[in-house]
Amino acid sequence: MSEEQAQLPARPALTAESWATGYWGPTDPELHPAVYAVRERFPDAFVDAISFRDEMTIRVERARLREVIAFLRDHPDQRYNLLTDVTAVDMVRLRDAPRFDIVVQLYSIPNRVRLRIKAGVDDGETVPSLVPIHAAANWMEREVYDMFGIVFEDHPDLRRILLADDWDEGHPLRKDYPLRGFREYVQPGFTKPAPRIRSRLRRPQ
Amino acid sequence: MVIDFSQPTPVEISEERQLTASRREMVLNMGPQHPSTHGVLRVLLTLDGEVITSCDPNIGYLHRGVEKLGESHRYSQFVPWTDRTDYVAAPSNNLGYVLAVEKLCGIEAPERAQYWRIIMGELARIASHLVWLGTHALDIGALSISLYCFRERELILDIFEKFCGARLTTNMMEIGGFSRPIPDELPEMVRTFCQVFPQGQQDYEDILSKNPIWLSRTRGVGVIEPDVAISYGLTGACLRGSGVNYDVRKAQPYLLYDRLDFEVPLGSHGDVFDRYLVRMEEMRQSIKIIEQCIDQVPTDGDLMLRNSTYTIPPHDTVLTTAEDMQRHFIWVIKGFSPPKGEVYMSIEHSKGELGYYIVSDGSPMPYRLRVRTPDFVNLQSLPYMAQGAMLADVVAMIGTIDIVLGSVDR
Repeated sequence: MSEEQAQLPARPALTAESWATGYWGPTDPELHPAVYAVRERFPDAFVDAISFRDEMTIRVERARLREVIAFLRDHPDQRYNLLTDVTAVDMVRLRDAPRFDIVVQLYSIPNRVRLRIKAGVDDGETVPSLVPIHAAANWMEREVYDMFGIVFEDHPDLRRILLADDWDEGHPLRKDYPLRGFREYVQPGFTKPAPRIRSRLRRPQ
Repeated sequence: MVIDFSQPTPVEISEERQLTASRREMVLNMGPQHPSTHGVLRVLLTLDGEVITSCDPNIGYLHRGVEKLGESHRYSQFVPWTDRTDYVAAPSNNLGYVLAVEKLCGIEAPERAQYWRIIMGELARIASHLVWLGTHALDIGALSISLYCFRERELILDIFEKFCGARLTTNMMEIGGFSRPIPDELPEMVRTFCQVFPQGQQDYEDILSKNPIWLSRTRGVGVIEPDVAISYGLTGACLRGSGVNYDVRKAQPYLLYDRLDFEVPLGSHGDVFDRYLVRMEEMRQSIKIIEQCIDQVPTDGDLMLRNSTYTIPPHDTVLTTAEDMQRHFIWVIKGFSPPKGEVYMSIEHSKGELGYYIVSDGSPMPYRLRVRTPDFVNLQSLPYMAQGAMLADVVAMIGTIDIVLGSVDR
């Protein structure tokens, strides 16, 4: 070991518990300042807050999603000003209702903290769009609409983005959409479509 | 602060961006087979003379449904798919995915593997920036620079080839570390590259940095103000070129980046030229990181986490012990089942923040796998930059975002 290597600052030994990469604030929901602020300001919209792998997730009511995120952006102590991601999860195999979860990842550049906001939304319900407060939400919400069929209110330009404009086979990331699509395609050089192989190890569709 | 949500706030267009009423508009279709769109990007431009009044990027020509495929593959089977999202910096994509799965499982790779992951990630960053610089300058008119850039990139690809046998889609990382040994010549190859590369970078800067054509094509073009950059969710050099200090390696250190000494370059004007300077300085800092890592990395030690249900057992013990042979069989046939939960893990990719969001239901396949690619988000700022600009500058603006359409469309 060289001299330079000996002078390196000590780092805690690598253990199975040291996977905490990225700072998400206190792991206890009671101590987390963003959870406290949202619960104080929106007592009727706050549903719950859970922590997994040090990541804090706040679940709020669907109709107040934009207000909560605007509040977290403008609050002088929170300042979650970077909208990292907007996506959705089809929860149809994990619970009865509501069907989807809208997942919003936030990051505070001044405080260096991440936060996740979730809101449940059922099939046919709409979600207030985040475009008026974060321009970044534009394409992300278009992608959620494209892949899940969730409609965003007040979105300036809600149309398909990754799939073709005239795509009529539904929304692919829903769990009832088969991996190879609904239609049968005959590949060039073949007379009939390839058989659909159902593996025993694969999760039932 | 009270916000009225009854009316959506319109995007404000500054005075000089607004156009006069007496305009004759023409719609120009650019792409998807245009050489300057870096792939299959299609941009619909509405022109008034040579001034752009509106710009509508159409993407999705390379959509392969990577997220849907991830939900039907086991965790370890998805690693090769990450190469195909951003094929210019494949090791960085591997890194982001395996870190997300490791965080979900609650494991961490051995120290030696973490150092080599940093080295490979930084080499991928330099390779990606070289492709960006070569094609970006080629679009604007500097033809010879691309040959210089690909000269140095070849050395990086040789290092990748020596390590894993592949040059482009490397598939080099595995959940829990590396599955392949480090060849004996590899540290020397990396050291040689660190010595050779600064001279090559000097060549690029000699050609470009004081070139009057390059300056007039890039200075003051495609300006993004800091608050607009944050609102558009930009990350990477696009955000730092506007002077906002956000680098995932510094702000949320992963791997061993908290041990290393490097700086984050920031721009001040937010134009194409500042983003060029930021990326050039990032390459210099990457060389600094690689040199520190290659000095500090242990010469022997495990590259793969042992005795974990989530990792593949090493080859030598599979052939000698019954327990590892059984574990290997189960791992290959059935995969592993991480705990139920959800994680979001992001790394600093060469283009910005690359995030993987995984929802696990306790089965061997992810319930939901979301890939947050940086250039998909960064490309949203193109209409903002292009509105009111000249037609010839659109090529410079597409180039400065640094897009790879495989990563935008997924």
